[in-house]
Amino acid sequence: MMGTSDTYLIRPNHQEKFKPAVVKECIREVVRERLTGVRYDDEEVRQLSTTLADSIKDRVKKAGFDRYKLTVQVVIGEQRGQGVKMSTRCFWDADTDSYAEDVFITENLFCVVVVFGSYYY
Amino acid sequence: MDEFQAEDETTFVVEEVSKIIKESVEATIGGNTYQHNRVNQWTTNVVEQCLSQLSKLGKPFKYIVTCVIMQKNGAGLQTANACFWDNTTDGSCAVRWENKSMYCIVTVFGLAI
Repeated sequence: MMGTSDTYLIRPNHQEKFKPAVVKECIREVVRERLTGVRYDDEEVRQLSTTLADSIKDRVKKAGFDRYKLTVQVVIGEQRGQGVKMSTRCFWDADTDSYAEDVFITENLFCVVVVFGSYYY
Repeated sequence: MDEFQAEDETTFVVEEVSKIIKESVEATIGGNTYQHNRVNQWTTNVVEQCLSQLSKLGKPFKYIVTCVIMQKNGAGLQTANACFWDNTTDGSCAVRWENKSMYCIVTVFGLAI
Protein backbone atom coordinates (compact mmCIF):
# COMPACT_ATOMS: atom_id res chain seq x y z
CA MET A 1 0.00 0.00 0.00
CA MET A 2 2.74 2.47 0.92
CA GLY A 3 5.52 3.74 -1.36
CA THR A 4 9.17 2.84 -1.18
CA SER A 5 10.05 4.98 1.88
CA ASP A 6 11.95 3.53 4.82
CA THR A 7 9.59 1.31 6.77
CA TYR A 8 11.43 1.54 10.08
CA LEU A 9 10.32 5.15 10.57
CA ILE A 10 7.77 5.65 13.31
CA ARG A 11 7.60 9.43 13.10
CA PRO A 12 7.32 11.58 9.98
CA ASN A 13 10.13 14.05 9.43
CA HIS A 14 9.18 17.69 9.07
CA GLN A 15 8.88 17.58 5.28
CA GLU A 16 6.45 14.67 5.31
CA LYS A 17 4.22 15.81 8.14
CA PHE A 18 0.52 16.33 7.43
CA LYS A 19 0.14 20.05 6.87
CA PRO A 20 -3.41 21.26 7.51
CA ALA A 21 -2.86 24.55 5.69
CA VAL A 22 -1.79 22.84 2.47
CA VAL A 23 -4.67 20.38 2.62
CA LYS A 24 -7.14 23.16 3.33
CA GLU A 25 -6.03 24.87 0.13
CA CYS A 26 -6.57 21.63 -1.83
CA ILE A 27 -10.07 21.33 -0.43
CA ARG A 28 -10.85 24.99 -1.12
CA GLU A 29 -9.82 24.78 -4.75
CA VAL A 30 -11.76 21.64 -5.55
CA VAL A 31 -14.92 22.75 -3.76
CA ARG A 32 -15.01 26.22 -5.29
CA GLU A 33 -14.46 24.75 -8.72
CA ARG A 34 -17.24 22.18 -8.41
CA LEU A 35 -19.86 23.93 -6.35
CA THR A 36 -19.95 27.53 -7.52
CA GLY A 37 -23.32 28.21 -9.06
CA VAL A 38 -24.80 24.82 -8.17
CA ARG A 39 -28.33 24.58 -6.78
CA TYR A 40 -29.26 21.86 -4.32
CA ASP A 41 -30.95 19.06 -6.22
CA ASP A 42 -31.45 15.62 -4.63
CA GLU A 43 -30.18 13.43 -7.45
CA GLU A 44 -27.39 15.71 -8.51
CA VAL A 45 -26.08 16.17 -5.00
CA ARG A 46 -25.93 12.43 -4.44
CA GLN A 47 -23.54 12.06 -7.38
CA LEU A 48 -21.74 15.28 -6.64
CA SER A 49 -20.88 14.43 -3.06
CA THR A 50 -19.21 11.13 -3.98
CA THR A 51 -17.27 12.59 -6.89
CA LEU A 52 -16.24 15.52 -4.73
CA ALA A 53 -14.95 13.20 -2.01
CA ASP A 54 -12.95 11.19 -4.56
CA SER A 55 -11.46 14.26 -6.24
CA ILE A 56 -10.39 15.75 -2.94
CA LYS A 57 -8.86 12.45 -1.88
CA ASP A 58 -6.87 12.27 -5.14
CA ARG A 59 -5.78 15.88 -4.87
CA VAL A 60 -4.50 15.40 -1.33
CA LYS A 61 -2.68 12.19 -2.31
CA LYS A 62 -0.83 14.15 -4.99
CA ALA A 63 0.26 16.69 -2.38
CA GLY A 64 2.70 14.03 -1.20
CA PHE A 65 1.78 12.85 2.29
CA ASP A 66 3.09 9.39 1.53
CA ARG A 67 2.90 7.65 4.88
CA TYR A 68 -0.57 8.90 5.70
CA LYS A 69 -3.90 7.12 5.58
CA LEU A 70 -6.52 9.61 4.46
CA THR A 71 -10.20 9.88 5.31
CA VAL A 72 -12.28 12.49 3.50
CA GLN A 73 -15.79 13.35 4.62
CA VAL A 74 -18.08 15.59 2.57
CA VAL A 75 -21.41 16.89 3.90
CA ILE A 76 -23.66 18.86 1.54
CA GLY A 77 -26.95 20.26 2.76
CA GLU A 78 -29.74 22.47 1.54
CA GLN A 79 -30.06 25.90 3.10
CA ARG A 80 -33.56 26.35 4.41
CA GLY A 81 -32.98 28.12 7.66
CA GLN A 82 -32.69 24.95 9.71
CA GLY A 83 -30.11 24.58 12.47
CA VAL A 84 -27.19 22.19 11.91
CA LYS A 85 -24.25 21.29 14.11
CA MET A 86 -21.33 19.02 13.28
CA SER A 87 -18.74 17.75 15.80
CA THR A 88 -15.85 15.41 15.59
CA ARG A 89 -13.43 13.80 18.05
CA CYS A 90 -10.48 11.56 17.34
CA PHE A 91 -8.57 8.96 19.25
CA TRP A 92 -5.13 9.04 17.64
CA ASP A 93 -1.52 10.09 17.97
CA ALA A 94 -1.53 13.86 18.30
CA ASP A 95 2.16 14.12 17.38
CA THR A 96 1.70 12.68 13.93
CA ASP A 97 -1.98 12.91 13.00
CA SER A 98 -4.05 15.92 12.06
CA TYR A 99 -7.00 17.16 10.03
CA ALA A 100 -8.04 20.02 7.76
CA GLU A 101 -11.52 21.36 7.11
CA ASP A 102 -13.33 23.90 5.01
CA VAL A 103 -16.88 25.20 4.88
CA PHE A 104 -18.42 26.57 1.68
CA ILE A 105 -21.75 28.39 1.88
CA THR A 106 -23.94 29.74 -0.90
CA GLU A 107 -27.48 31.01 -1.01
CA ASN A 108 -29.10 27.61 -1.21
CA LEU A 109 -26.57 25.09 -0.07
CA PHE A 110 -23.71 24.58 2.38
CA CYS A 111 -20.83 22.16 2.08
CA VAL A 112 -18.48 20.98 4.83
CA VAL A 113 -15.37 18.98 3.98
CA VAL A 114 -13.03 17.40 6.53
CA VAL A 115 -9.85 15.52 5.65
CA PHE A 116 -8.20 13.43 8.38
CA GLY A 117 -4.60 12.26 8.02
CA SER A 118 -3.44 9.35 10.16
CA TYR A 119 0.21 8.27 10.10
CA TYR A 120 0.89 4.64 9.22
CA TYR A 121 3.80 3.44 11.37
CA MET B 1 5.21 -20.71 21.02
CA ASP B 2 4.00 -17.68 19.13
CA GLU B 3 0.65 -16.26 20.07
CA PHE B 4 -1.40 -15.01 17.18
CA GLN B 5 -4.12 -12.47 17.71
CA ALA B 6 -7.58 -13.72 16.82
CA GLU B 7 -8.81 -12.10 13.63
CA ASP B 8 -11.54 -10.42 15.59
CA GLU B 9 -9.10 -8.27 17.46
CA THR B 10 -7.37 -6.71 14.52
CA THR B 11 -10.23 -6.00 12.14
CA PHE B 12 -12.95 -3.41 12.36
CA VAL B 13 -16.18 -5.09 13.49
CA VAL B 14 -19.07 -3.07 12.13
CA GLU B 15 -21.89 -4.54 14.25
CA GLU B 16 -20.09 -3.89 17.49
CA VAL B 17 -19.37 -0.29 16.59
CA SER B 18 -22.89 0.27 15.32
CA LYS B 19 -24.25 -0.89 18.65
CA ILE B 20 -21.99 1.50 20.54
CA ILE B 21 -23.09 4.42 18.37
CA LYS B 22 -26.80 3.67 18.79
CA GLU B 23 -26.45 3.47 22.55
CA SER B 24 -24.57 6.77 22.76
CA VAL B 25 -27.10 8.60 20.62
CA GLU B 26 -30.09 7.22 22.50
CA ALA B 27 -28.57 8.10 25.84
CA THR B 28 -27.77 11.69 24.82
CA ILE B 29 -30.67 12.87 22.69
CA GLY B 30 -33.13 10.01 23.14
CA GLY B 31 -36.34 11.76 24.01
CA ASN B 32 -35.40 15.36 23.23
CA THR B 33 -36.66 18.00 20.81
CA TYR B 34 -34.27 20.14 18.79
CA GLN B 35 -33.05 23.06 20.88
CA HIS B 36 -30.53 25.41 19.34
CA ASN B 37 -28.81 26.26 22.58
CA ARG B 38 -28.27 22.62 23.52
CA VAL B 39 -27.08 21.20 20.22
CA ASN B 40 -23.48 22.09 20.92
CA GLN B 41 -23.49 20.07 24.08
CA TRP B 42 -25.36 17.17 22.49
CA THR B 43 -22.96 16.69 19.60
CA THR B 44 -20.02 16.88 21.98
CA ASN B 45 -21.58 14.34 24.33
CA VAL B 46 -22.47 11.87 21.59
CA VAL B 47 -19.01 12.02 20.14
CA GLU B 48 -17.18 11.79 23.44
CA GLN B 49 -19.30 8.91 24.67
CA CYS B 50 -18.76 6.95 21.45
CA LEU B 51 -15.05 7.53 21.64
CA SER B 52 -14.70 6.44 25.25
CA GLN B 53 -16.68 3.24 24.58
CA LEU B 54 -14.57 2.54 21.51
CA SER B 55 -11.30 3.02 23.33
CA LYS B 56 -12.53 0.64 26.05
CA LEU B 57 -12.65 -2.11 23.40
CA GLY B 58 -8.89 -2.16 23.68
CA LYS B 59 -8.22 -2.83 20.00
CA PRO B 60 -5.11 -1.52 18.21
CA PHE B 61 -7.05 1.14 16.31
CA LYS B 62 -7.11 4.89 15.85
CA TYR B 63 -10.68 6.20 15.76
CA ILE B 64 -12.33 9.23 14.16
CA VAL B 65 -15.93 9.96 15.18
CA THR B 66 -18.13 12.58 13.49
CA CYS B 67 -21.64 13.58 14.46
CA VAL B 68 -24.05 15.82 12.54
CA ILE B 69 -27.30 16.92 14.14
CA MET B 70 -29.80 18.70 11.91
CA GLN B 71 -33.20 20.15 12.62
CA LYS B 72 -36.04 18.70 10.57
CA ASN B 73 -37.56 21.25 8.27
CA GLY B 74 -37.74 19.58 4.91
CA ALA B 75 -34.22 20.40 3.82
CA GLY B 76 -32.03 17.75 2.30
CA LEU B 77 -28.63 16.56 3.55
CA GLN B 78 -26.11 14.30 1.86
CA THR B 79 -22.87 12.90 3.28
CA ALA B 80 -20.12 11.07 1.38
CA ASN B 81 -16.76 9.63 2.39
CA ALA B 82 -13.66 8.66 0.45
CA CYS B 83 -10.80 6.86 2.17
CA PHE B 84 -7.25 5.90 1.35
CA TRP B 85 -6.43 3.05 3.73
CA ASP B 86 -5.90 -0.68 4.08
CA ASN B 87 -9.11 -2.47 3.13
CA THR B 88 -8.30 -5.65 5.02
CA THR B 89 -8.03 -4.02 8.45
CA ASP B 90 -9.70 -0.62 8.35
CA GLY B 91 -13.38 0.18 8.20
CA SER B 92 -16.14 2.65 8.81
CA CYS B 93 -19.64 2.60 10.19
CA ALA B 94 -22.37 5.20 9.70
CA VAL B 95 -25.57 5.31 11.70
CA ARG B 96 -28.61 7.42 10.83
CA TRP B 97 -30.95 8.20 13.68
CA GLU B 98 -34.02 10.42 13.77
CA ASN B 99 -36.92 11.49 15.90
CA LYS B 100 -39.78 13.93 15.29
CA SER B 101 -37.66 17.08 15.37
CA MET B 102 -34.17 16.22 14.26
CA TYR B 103 -31.80 13.94 12.37
CA CYS B 104 -28.54 12.65 13.76
CA ILE B 105 -25.86 11.05 11.59
CA VAL B 106 -22.82 9.52 13.29
CA THR B 107 -19.84 8.15 11.36
CA VAL B 108 -16.97 6.20 12.92
CA PHE B 109 -13.74 5.45 11.05
CA GLY B 110 -11.36 2.85 12.48
CA LEU B 111 -7.76 2.82 11.25
CA ALA B 112 -5.51 -0.06 12.26
CA ILE B 113 -2.12 0.68 13.70
